[in-house]
Amino acid sequence: MKIDRRSFLALTIGGAAGTALTPLPWKLTDDSSIWSQNWPWTPVPAKGENSYAYTSCTLCPGGCGLMVRMVGDRAVKIEGLEGHPINDGGICILGLSGLQLLYGATRVKTPLKRIGKRGEGRWEKISWDEALANVTAKLGQLRDANQSHTVACILGSKHGTTSTLFKRFMTAYGSPNVMTTPSVQDTLEMTLQVMHGVEAEAGFDIENSDYILSFGSGLIEGWGSPVRMFRANSAWRENGVKVVQVEPRLSSTAAKSDQWIPINPGTEAALAMGIAHILIKESLFDNDFIENHTEGFAGWKKMVLDEYTPEKVAAITGVGKTAIVRVAREFAGADKPLALCGRGCGDTPGSLAEAMAVHTVNALVGSINREGGVIAVPMTAYAAWPDMTMDSMAQSGMVKSRVDGAGSDKFPLAASLLNRFAGGVIAADAYPVNALLISGANPVYATPDAQAFKKAVEKIPFVVSFSSYMDETSMNADLILPNHVYLERLEDVPVTAGLQKPMVGMVQPVVYPLHDTRHAGDVVIELARSMGGSVGDAFPWDNYEACLEAVLGEKWDALSEEGLWQDENFQPAEWGEAFETASGKFEFMNSAMGLMPSYVPLSLEGNASTFPLLLIPFDSMRLASRFISDPPFVIKAVEDTVLKGKEMCVEINPATAKSLGLANGKSAVLSTPKGGARVKIYHYDGIMPGVVAVPRGLGHTADDKYMAGKGANFNALIGPVEDRASGLDTAWGIRAKLAKA
Amino acid sequence: MSTHKDQTKAVSDQDTEGPAAPIIFFFIIGFAASLVIGWGIFPKLLYSQKHQPIDFNHAVHVEEVDDGCESCHYFREDGSFSGIPDLESCMECHEDVIGASEEEEKFVEEYVVPEREVPWLVYSRQPDCVYFSHAPHVISGKMECAECHGHIGESDHARVYEENRITGYSRDIWGKNMIGIAKNPWERMKMDDCSKCHIRENVNQGSVQTQKGGCFVCHK
Amino acid sequence: MKEAQGHNKTKKFGMVIDLDKCTGCGACMVACMAENNVSFREDESDKQLSTAWMRVYKMTNGKPFPDADVCYIPRPCMHCEGHGGHSPCVSVCPATATDYDNNTGIVSQIYTRCFGCRYCMVACPYHARVFNWWDPVWPADMEKMLNPDVSVRMRGVVEKCSFCYHRYQRAMEKAHYEERHEIEEDEYQTSCTQACPAGAITFGDLNNPDHTVNQLVKPDNRHGGRPKNPHAFRLLERLGTNPKVYYLSSREWVIRAGDNYVKNENH
Repeated sequence: MKIDRRSFLALTIGGAAGTALTPLPWKLTDDSSIWSQNWPWTPVPAKGENSYAYTSCTLCPGGCGLMVRMVGDRAVKIEGLEGHPINDGGICILGLSGLQLLYGATRVKTPLKRIGKRGEGRWEKISWDEALANVTAKLGQLRDANQSHTVACILGSKHGTTSTLFKRFMTAYGSPNVMTTPSVQDTLEMTLQVMHGVEAEAGFDIENSDYILSFGSGLIEGWGSPVRMFRANSAWRENGVKVVQVEPRLSSTAAKSDQWIPINPGTEAALAMGIAHILIKESLFDNDFIENHTEGFAGWKKMVLDEYTPEKVAAITGVGKTAIVRVAREFAGADKPLALCGRGCGDTPGSLAEAMAVHTVNALVGSINREGGVIAVPMTAYAAWPDMTMDSMAQSGMVKSRVDGAGSDKFPLAASLLNRFAGGVIAADAYPVNALLISGANPVYATPDAQAFKKAVEKIPFVVSFSSYMDETSMNADLILPNHVYLERLEDVPVTAGLQKPMVGMVQPVVYPLHDTRHAGDVVIELARSMGGSVGDAFPWDNYEACLEAVLGEKWDALSEEGLWQDENFQPAEWGEAFETASGKFEFMNSAMGLMPSYVPLSLEGNASTFPLLLIPFDSMRLASRFISDPPFVIKAVEDTVLKGKEMCVEINPATAKSLGLANGKSAVLSTPKGGARVKIYHYDGIMPGVVAVPRGLGHTADDKYMAGKGANFNALIGPVEDRASGLDTAWGIRAKLAKA
Repeated sequence: MSTHKDQTKAVSDQDTEGPAAPIIFFFIIGFAASLVIGWGIFPKLLYSQKHQPIDFNHAVHVEEVDDGCESCHYFREDGSFSGIPDLESCMECHEDVIGASEEEEKFVEEYVVPEREVPWLVYSRQPDCVYFSHAPHVISGKMECAECHGHIGESDHARVYEENRITGYSRDIWGKNMIGIAKNPWERMKMDDCSKCHIRENVNQGSVQTQKGGCFVCHK
Repeated sequence: MKEAQGHNKTKKFGMVIDLDKCTGCGACMVACMAENNVSFREDESDKQLSTAWMRVYKMTNGKPFPDADVCYIPRPCMHCEGHGGHSPCVSVCPATATDYDNNTGIVSQIYTRCFGCRYCMVACPYHARVFNWWDPVWPADMEKMLNPDVSVRMRGVVEKCSFCYHRYQRAMEKAHYEERHEIEEDEYQTSCTQACPAGAITFGDLNNPDHTVNQLVKPDNRHGGRPKNPHAFRLLERLGTNPKVYYLSSREWVIRAGDNYVKNENH
């Protein structure tokens, strides 16, 4: 039998007819569509039991309570803890993105030892034993050579037991050089020290104020405890509380305020003094407070009346006379007015005279230690630390002068001046810095004049980072001893960001540590113990948890069970008992130190002809600018008027842009005496002519591709300007120029 | 030329003379072969046969527990269904070998001791786009477990798990029957089966597009 | 919600966003991304390609310094009802991948059903829909943070805000377990509502007089069916999309920016 074309056709038709009567075509169609709808490479999240784990956030000083949604042992989402006194269910953009830090690619997974050049990124994995032996040997050597004071330590926070353990270690070891990340809280503390004579944190009873006068504070842009501020802002809106924002740029805070008063950059103190002038001249001040509880009013009053007339203030600030008078009258007319300072999110300490000027505006109307006012919250020792013995080496080390000059005759008020550290290291006047330990901070990125800081770090032969992440500081370290991420560790977090009463939150592990990391507190204890002698004796605890339990005493139960401790009975001191100055009263001036509330103009770096513009930074909730790099979710939420591709946008008034021939959306080069960056021009009507603004928080160079290589680091464009009185960084901007790219 | 003509003629003779039998024959061969392939070979090729890691005996367990299926397959307090028990639940009884079964011994040795979850093969696993909640069906709808899962609770051995090589899902979703005719409700669990019952019971028939069930009722 | 009142009653879930309280902080955007397994890429600055279900836009009043003003406006899916549930996107979908549910008033999007023609994106006047140009990638251990209640979308499909429908399902699941037929207002809240640190977002059943959203923007016949509250408005009201997201603002220019007007026209 021959198979010809016809029979072949018949076979095929028969086959087709038969196939149609089998499940094959229908089943294949169905199966392949199911397959194409569920590609094997599209992840399918594993199911499991849903539960919540409770902890606190540590990504900023705000102290929010968190509830972390768990599915099985996976943490799937961070939510705000309902009923928490600070955030009551609310949460900020960074807090929400925390799991991307936990599960992200920038984690340092084991102790690492540098094998390439600094910053090259070549590392060798080492064991914890080796890493600790390495540090112990190095620190031991220095101590044996009477060089203990040449070891420096930079901490993210001055509060909390982990930081205290580091400080205790440095003391027992014998070095005075402990520095902490600066903020406006430092300046406010000094203000209270000078004017009240107390050691206290500045708290603000914003919830109960009925008139808010903000001198450039980004009230809804990260200032204080951000979520608390959002909640307060909403309450202000509901209750008709008037908010006046003084600032050269229409920030989110300014846009949300009832009145935005644009002001020449850096002249806020002059306006505060001008308002004080009206309050005094029109006798709008609180007589009881001024008469009975203040000292030095008469002398200061004369200066204010002479120097800060509305005409003079208007000329300095650019704010109209009538506006000055009106705001002063409104402020005095309110029941519980409150003036606030600290530019942006409050990371820049600012000038002491300015903080004092704003504080004086509060004092004049009696908004001190009373409802709706500034509250001096005493730095109560909520943890009880046992005494320790310092051996002779520790004693001789501790009396050495500090690298940063804090506490010296020149800067007696300062406890830490990180802005002066780089200069101190490079100059090495008294002694070189031989080792640096860094924990909870990313100063290589976050310190103004970042290049200088990096140079200083390059000069230090032994740098140890305790960071959980491969950030800029880790990149420039010799050794990384990775800490657990906050979601993996136990820790107390005292909330100090402008709260009106003492509060401590508890960070509790919600997941088991993912990698071979160790709690920095445990590492310090181990280091001390392996050093032995009086250093080891100062650390009688087996581990961090034992230490925490011991020093917290009876607060341990509340903290470990409820995750929060508040001093419920706290009442601000009455005016009669509030002041511990020499006079026992609120002091307008401190003649001994030559301090008084005033406007001290800042001489900016660079000359006006080369750099005709003023560059100021702005903070935004959508950018983290502290020790945490912006996780992918946060970067994703950044507007395209802030970051476009790899270039950050510079805000410029359309009129100024026109005069410079800079079209909207075009690339340009922004330069300052400190550095330069490629930027995109963004015409913004909300910024004062002659002033340009860029965001803080961009321009990371370490981390992964999702976080790094986006825009420029503002800290590389600006340098610190030392405040004569405090030594802290008071720079609010820098001269700059823009040129077409 | 003539030869060619002859040949042509011869062929046409054959065409007219002989009946169409060979062609039908080919048709039948094709027809029959495709039926054999479609009904016999294809299903065997489509599904791979897998065995459960442990030959689980439901019947023995049901005898031992007080609360029937819900003893192990219970609702959590948030209304979600626990599904297949995790190792921890099993270990409440099986921390050590308590019976004489080889399978139990294997279970303890391979999973309990190293604390490793058992990679059970789930006959009823649906694609990720499917949302199914037990509570409305079992509690509000008062459906019996067997209505969807069959009489698995009475089985002495774990059935062979037939995995669809294309989709990766169990044969139970489509049904044992290749045509897709189900005699019992538990023999098939495709979208049509869900919606058939939803239409009958008038459950969430709010769709504007289909005038039937809303898509989000069963999809996520 | 009282049982007797709510039982078997059609729901119409909607949202009210108070723009006076909104600070533009972006928490709603990330709360949404984290809840709904929204993917991210290296460069997200091209917002047309950026998959965000909730996006906060910055609006300006167009006036020069110092009269400039800024307002932020969060934009989820509006879950338009149109007329009889014929929202712009539902009407054009050739795949029945998006649907309007009369029982909840929620516009669904079934990713496995979608074949990516993007008609709905063209039809949506709010840019609430986004297309997946790339397969999603969660680097390092980040797949661990995926939420099993929401399926992950593959390349080639359109996605959008679902009013966190899975949270409704979870709430209903619990209600069924507790042998209830209805859920309380606070049992079903979207992720953005829950997270908003300013408390600017309110969510609930617009049909239920006990729910805050109903009280805030209840339609009033004396106002031509619009809410009595003069601060309330909807985006592109005059298109007839009948959205279920309302905004509140005390600023006239903001309300006016919510729709298109010809020159000198009053709204």
